[in-house]
Amino acid sequence: MSAADVRITAEPIDNGRCKFLVSEPLHAGGVRRFASPDEARGSPLAEAIFAVPGADVSEVIVSGNLVTVVKRSPAAWPVVGKAVGQAIRAALASGQPAVTSKPAASPEAGAAPVDDALYERVADLFESQVNPMVARHGGRVELIDVQDAVVMVRMAGGCQGCGMADVTLRQGIEAMLHQHVPEVKGIVDITDHTAGSNPYFAAAKK
Amino acid sequence: MRLLLLLPTVTYRTVAFVEAARRLGIEVTVASERPSTFERANPTGLVTLDFADPAHAAAQARAFARAHPVHGVVAVDDDTAVVAAAIAQELGLRGNPVAAARAARDKHQQRQLLAAAGVAVPRFELLPIAADPERVAGRAAYPCVLKPLRLSASRGVVRADDPPGFVAAFRRVQAILEQPDVAGCGEWARHVLVEEFVPGREVAVEGLVMRGSVRVLTIFDKPDPLDGPFFEETIYLTPSRLARTAQQAIAVCAQAAVDALGLREGPIHAEIRHNDRGAWLIELAARPIGGRCSGALRFGAGGSGLGAGVSLEEIIIRHALGMELPTLDREEQASGVMMIPVPGAGVLRDVRGVVEARAVPLVEEVAITAHPGQTLVPWPEGSRYPGFILARGESSEAVEAALRAAHARLEFLIEPAD
Repeated sequence: MSAADVRITAEPIDNGRCKFLVSEPLHAGGVRRFASPDEARGSPLAEAIFAVPGADVSEVIVSGNLVTVVKRSPAAWPVVGKAVGQAIRAALASGQPAVTSKPAASPEAGAAPVDDALYERVADLFESQVNPMVARHGGRVELIDVQDAVVMVRMAGGCQGCGMADVTLRQGIEAMLHQHVPEVKGIVDITDHTAGSNPYFAAAKK
Repeated sequence: MRLLLLLPTVTYRTVAFVEAARRLGIEVTVASERPSTFERANPTGLVTLDFADPAHAAAQARAFARAHPVHGVVAVDDDTAVVAAAIAQELGLRGNPVAAARAARDKHQQRQLLAAAGVAVPRFELLPIAADPERVAGRAAYPCVLKPLRLSASRGVVRADDPPGFVAAFRRVQAILEQPDVAGCGEWARHVLVEEFVPGREVAVEGLVMRGSVRVLTIFDKPDPLDGPFFEETIYLTPSRLARTAQQAIAVCAQAAVDALGLREGPIHAEIRHNDRGAWLIELAARPIGGRCSGALRFGAGGSGLGAGVSLEEIIIRHALGMELPTLDREEQASGVMMIPVPGAGVLRDVRGVVEARAVPLVEEVAITAHPGQTLVPWPEGSRYPGFILARGESSEAVEAALRAAHARLEFLIEPAD
């Protein structure tokens, strides 16, 4: 496969966040989130995205064929996106894993290992059950982070801006979390629902 | 304690009601007319009901309640108000008689009952859409208003000032009723209500009916004149600046309408006009205020505990479940909401100035509910506002100024539809 065969679609959420949908899978081992260049060390794709000049990238999330990039700079996504696209193509062309699997947490690290363990379990739940369900309505739910046992998600596709997104979140995802990962204390939706361009159910009546 | 919350998939009200129920810590089952993809995963929290057939929906709710007892049912819009009444009757829950809910849903039936009971309503006449408007125009009294029997948000409501205007308005309403999303909705879609135009100040009344008695929760002024030819809403402000005697007359009118319709329990939203001849009931619905407008209502004085900063949705849920009610006195601050007018016909590409609009003092929220790529349709064919602005302040005047200032900062980029 040549780099030219790879198709990448950029979906800016707002000026700070953009999703890149890639025609080839980048990471099959669940969700990897990198919150700093240090965390990205050893994962070529994440390293390259953090190094995009002028972007001031603060977060890279890689899951399947989806890369979410969060940046602090006001630079427009059409500009930053070209560099991100080059990084993605280079990572795929190298034949090496684009990102490494998440390392096991050290026992001295305090609360973080608990969150890390929860993150893996929640990510598995999302991959195996939640996303196949919302996909039936063209939706996606992205696990962003687990902090202090609170799960942060971002909704996309048919879920983003959907009139029933809160029902999906509370009666669907949260209920499944209670059942399968009862240690989770809460769930926060950080989606910019106003940017949803294709909601499955669009609010329409009084 | 379990609440059955009837949420149509196209409602704006989802977040407000779901989050209010969560704050109360009650079990919630969300019922919609189309299945959630999570329904199998959470069969106690999600259920599909046939909203198009209230009797069938009630039977479905009965079957559900056998396994998962239900203690209250709440509707959020006109259609589900009838479904909720049927379910309440079936399960013996607090609610309205089905006949009353149906009468409130149908503008002609409502007019008939109100007129028979002596409630001040405009003179009216029901016409089939097959009628020849040229013939009717000659005997109509002017100005008059033509309206469909059930469409919401003043969709299809048009004023006519003379016979040529009547014919044009009739043709326009006729075309709306023949649109695919309307034409198949039932017999009501084959009729047009023609009624006398009532001049005067229009207000919206939010109330809670308890054992047939209306507790007025607030009266919203509508500072922009609603004189037609179309009736797209803009600003709601509370407290009302009308004289106390006018407000009392409005409250009496709302109670008389509730009595005439036979409503017993739950929220009402009424449009009432007041002029030198008194209060006139324009429409009354057995549901709470729509859109995102309930964000303008907060009850209690702040602080903590029962009654502090309570939402309208929480009050409605508490009432449905027979829970203790907090104070029903609205907060002391003035508040208001602007339903952002549709800026033009076409496909919405972007909305600029939202950050600037949010920065206007007193503005609390600028919610753009239209999504990029959505086709915006102006009234009378349309019924979807592109968004809502909410503000709070010391006076209604200050709130109104803030709403207008925020709106002036918004720029909608629209492309012609194909």
